[in-house]
Amino acid sequence: MRVGTGTRPTRPGLRRRLAAAVLGCGVAAAIVSIPTPSVGASSGSTFTIAMDDSGIDTLNPFLSYFEGGLKTFALIYPTLNILDEDNKPGPYLATSWTTSPDQLTWTYKIQSGLKWSDGQPITAEDAAWTFNLIMTNNIAATANGALVANVASVTAPDATTLVIKTKQPQANMLYISVPHWGIPIVPKHIWESHVAGLKDYKNDTFPVVGYGPYTLVNYTTDQYEKFAVNKDFKLGGKSPTFDNLVVQEFKNSDAAVAALKSNQLAYYDGLNSNQFNALKNDSSLRTFQELGTGWTAVEINAGAKTRTGKPIGTGNPALANDQVREAISYAIDKKKITANVLGGLGVSGEGYLPPGYPQWQWHPSADEAVSYNPAKANSLLDSAGYAKGPDGVRIDPRTHKPLSIRLGIHSDSSRDAQISALLQGWLKDVGIDLKLDTLSMSKLNDNLAKGDWDMLMDSWPTGPDPTYLLSIQTCGTLPKDDGTGGNTDAFVCDPNYDKLFAQQVNTFDATQRAQLVGQMQDILYKANRDLILYYPNGLVAYRKDALTGITSGKADANGFYPSKPYFWFVMDAAPLSQKASSSHRTTYLVAGAVVVVLIAAGAVLLLRRRSTADERE
Amino acid sequence: MTGTQADIRHPRPSQLPASGAVRAESAKPPPFNAFRRFVRGFLARPSGVAGVAILFAFAVLALVAPAFIGPAQLDVTKVSGPLLAPPSAHYLLGTDESGRSVLALAIWGARASLSVGVIATALTVILGSTIGLLAGHYQGWLGAVLMHVTDWFIALPSLPLAISLSAVLGQGSASITIAIAVTSWTSTARLVRAQTLAVEARPFVERARALGASNSQIVVRQVLPNVMPLILVSSTLTVASAILSEATLTFLGLGDPTSVSWGSMLDSAFSRGAVTAEAWWYLLTPGVAILIVVLGFTLTGRAVEHVLNPRMVK
Amino acid sequence: MPADPVQSMTRGHPTSDAQMAALRRSLGLDKPIWLRFIDFVNDALHGRLGQSWQFQQSVASLIGSRLGPTVLLMGTATLISVTLGLWLGVRSGWRHGSLFDRAASGVSLTLWSMPTFWLGMILLVTFSVGLGPIPSILPANGMSDPSISGALPHTLDVVRHLVLPSMTMVLVVFAQYVTIMRSSIIDELGSPYLLTARAKGLTDADVRRKHAVPNALLPTVTVIFLHIGGIIGGAITVETVYSWPGLGYLTYQALKVPDLPLLQGTFIIFSSSVILMNLVADVLYRILDPRVRAQ
Repeated sequence: MRVGTGTRPTRPGLRRRLAAAVLGCGVAAAIVSIPTPSVGASSGSTFTIAMDDSGIDTLNPFLSYFEGGLKTFALIYPTLNILDEDNKPGPYLATSWTTSPDQLTWTYKIQSGLKWSDGQPITAEDAAWTFNLIMTNNIAATANGALVANVASVTAPDATTLVIKTKQPQANMLYISVPHWGIPIVPKHIWESHVAGLKDYKNDTFPVVGYGPYTLVNYTTDQYEKFAVNKDFKLGGKSPTFDNLVVQEFKNSDAAVAALKSNQLAYYDGLNSNQFNALKNDSSLRTFQELGTGWTAVEINAGAKTRTGKPIGTGNPALANDQVREAISYAIDKKKITANVLGGLGVSGEGYLPPGYPQWQWHPSADEAVSYNPAKANSLLDSAGYAKGPDGVRIDPRTHKPLSIRLGIHSDSSRDAQISALLQGWLKDVGIDLKLDTLSMSKLNDNLAKGDWDMLMDSWPTGPDPTYLLSIQTCGTLPKDDGTGGNTDAFVCDPNYDKLFAQQVNTFDATQRAQLVGQMQDILYKANRDLILYYPNGLVAYRKDALTGITSGKADANGFYPSKPYFWFVMDAAPLSQKASSSHRTTYLVAGAVVVVLIAAGAVLLLRRRSTADERE
Repeated sequence: MTGTQADIRHPRPSQLPASGAVRAESAKPPPFNAFRRFVRGFLARPSGVAGVAILFAFAVLALVAPAFIGPAQLDVTKVSGPLLAPPSAHYLLGTDESGRSVLALAIWGARASLSVGVIATALTVILGSTIGLLAGHYQGWLGAVLMHVTDWFIALPSLPLAISLSAVLGQGSASITIAIAVTSWTSTARLVRAQTLAVEARPFVERARALGASNSQIVVRQVLPNVMPLILVSSTLTVASAILSEATLTFLGLGDPTSVSWGSMLDSAFSRGAVTAEAWWYLLTPGVAILIVVLGFTLTGRAVEHVLNPRMVK
Repeated sequence: MPADPVQSMTRGHPTSDAQMAALRRSLGLDKPIWLRFIDFVNDALHGRLGQSWQFQQSVASLIGSRLGPTVLLMGTATLISVTLGLWLGVRSGWRHGSLFDRAASGVSLTLWSMPTFWLGMILLVTFSVGLGPIPSILPANGMSDPSISGALPHTLDVVRHLVLPSMTMVLVVFAQYVTIMRSSIIDELGSPYLLTARAKGLTDADVRRKHAVPNALLPTVTVIFLHIGGIIGGAITVETVYSWPGLGYLTYQALKVPDLPLLQGTFIIFSSSVILMNLVADVLYRILDPRVRAQ
């Protein structure tokens, strides 16, 4: 349908639209050209890093479980002990300590003259109050209750003395209040009034009263934390060097990398292997790998039991056979998993404790070490009586059914999916049919606790004190008969292991304790119930032109650096005087402006053409 | 045709609320002639022909895929390609993070994506038409209750509903399929109800009723054949939105990470650093595949709609 | 409620039996499932959304702190897409069959056929990471830059962060407004009142602007409000892709565990906003349409 029009020489609409287009382009240009701040742009020097991708659940240190929260407390609340750069305990609030002859009483000397950020003095009473709150208040025990389970009493006879009495001798006492992994000490005069509503207290009155290298001055939910330096802070002869610290949340690691490239971020340690490889050759960045502090493993259900020994769950009984589990272990090529899934950026699995803490590391002896050997796996299965059926799947000699095993994997983990595909192929080669069960995290944990599984993908991080990770394999973590209370991950319950566990808990000599821990790892290795696949390295990139003091210690033969405690990473990082980075940004901005102008010109032209076309009708 | 389709993402850009549907051919023409006329009308619309061609090509590709794609291309233990490598003579669309050919994955992914789309649509159509027919035919309390339930479901935002459903049902394509069906049957139901009302008002239904036909006879013999064309049109468009929903839900982590679909390819591309590696071949391929297939279904559906309902063609 | 979240929550953290039991009690997980369901319904009816499983906070406070960013994003995207969609729809409908019409329909149909999150990823790669010769000109993450202070720079910075997420939503969503407006205009084209207007000697533009558009707008406006539910779906994926600190992103975080109380909470909020919009559409229709108003 054509509609006739009167001809008119001018069209007010056109001018209006032109004006709008020009205005629009102007706004666009203004938005694009806001200078992206680089390190050092605001008052004083600023260190911008990315928050752990788990984020912050709450800033209340009695409740928080998320890494983002724990790392925050490491900087803003003091602890009795520090972990030095080698992850060994040293003095922080406590300058020295002694134990009684029966090893049940610990007396800490608390440093005097320190002040909370509001000017009040820090005394032993603050520490005693914090400990007692956790020990007596269920809510306050939410996050750290387990760390004081063996503590009988905590008292502060005077301002500089703290006395902790334990129920049993406890060798790892110096680890229970350390930054990031232990109990943060909070100012009593602030927190006393919050005990009543502790459960809903978010601790978001800024600046947060505390003590540490930095003070938390702002937190915007899901976005960023801002810290100001505590100029008076000194520990081990060091002080923090940056005036401001910004911890920004990046829920997507590609976004963090983009920010790193454009100098909005100075340091990022959450890279995945593809990103690491892509950034290796970036001239403005330096990349390096830190030895891992956690592992990824396949758990095997060799018979789930409750604490009283009652069998539970639907686990495949074939896996109770030692030879079958050993065969599975031989059928898995851990080196290939490390190479494929991690892109070689990690260490293949051996002992139960990760290489990031060399003091606990254990290697299997040459004759007990298991390496990829499908022939051996096949012969083990043959001798166990599992003959191959016509379709290549082995037959269970008791049930005469094909040997089919379920593997539970986390639905949100692409690594699990990759690993499970590899495992499926290898186990098929030795005649085991692996069925994949994709489960949400809570469903998987739920199945685990009930024993309703054959094999599971699992991963655990650990702090420098291995006690908790080791405790997961003790009989005490099995579920009760009513199904509650379980904390196990493979239903391991070995009296020898438990004996060693009890022994290392009160072995105060570090070398001796490490030996016992080694024997425990030996037991686990031979049991083939936790097949540790690999320890992923921490993959780090930072801006060469902005930072110094990032790595410490020496790289090992593979070029992997030791794992550095978060506290010291923040303390050691120092600004490089730099001006270079702004130049290429300007180029980008100019390029961006040119693009915008071109688009604008195009739009204007188009509008004009069309408007004359209107008139031609 | 029409209906605010309760698509998971957003309603499809079709038409205004339901009343428009109440137009049907005035009498029952002989079926064969009607079919011939339909084909002739359809062939006159190039966009519709293009849509059918696209769908045919993808369907063939998906069906014959097992002939030339197998574990050698898909099993990460068997493949030996470079990781995240750009397109080359050997890997026409590059490789993924495990060294698999992205082209092979995209072709294989068509199977999962299309089957979820088609099965979810079948469920949607069965559920929607049943409720629509019942609500249209039984206009007493049953119809009222059914329409209230439908209205209530329309008010629920579909993606959050699908997310909650899959979270409760567990992971995997089965629960995604159910979630899609549960969130998209409402528009079919409304459409079918409106059409049923229109058909039942026509003389031949009255005649059948006067001759003593039972309720089920009327619904199955008289109403259903006349509502069918409309159901088919609406289902073509439902497949399009079901495929989009499948991709979205899989991307949000509700799919099965071990199976290959276009959504899961995009999920791994996004979570495994393809953006930083500037692996455009990995990001573009599955997305473009979704785009083309959805476009194919939409073009086909719109063309069918235009032919069946000539008032639209202006 | 399928699973015990306590194990997931405390993963990797030293936890004793007593702690886990206390957590279970505080989340009400020690009660039988039917009792938990009754509690949930009762609480929801009283406006209590419960306690999140993964964040040590109440669902209400989590939702409260993320409402603002979502309203900002969805508001901006809706405003732009409605304006753009209606304008294009009027132009295409008025001269339907023209090159402009076919181009507009083609482009909007193609954009509509894209998964929202995928379009977001492509825009992210192109404009934030920088692809080939295209420099990185827009931020990829979040809603503001922590190092920018001052009211005006901060506002501009938020706008800058808003560009990509809102553009993604607009591009996918505007198509439906084009289609609705286009067909409304086409429906009006043959109306006698337009003929009268032309007979009065009004220009084509005036007939369109003063007569056709206001009439065609009537059914369109109500449909716009009914489509809000769809925009919410877009918000979930767009916020996920761009880490926008809003309700959609919160839903995604809840989904990962899954944190059921939080999922229920966001679902209730989303549904009530859709129902609210439906009511608004109803009221608007009454106000705008003189025939309904007269009754």
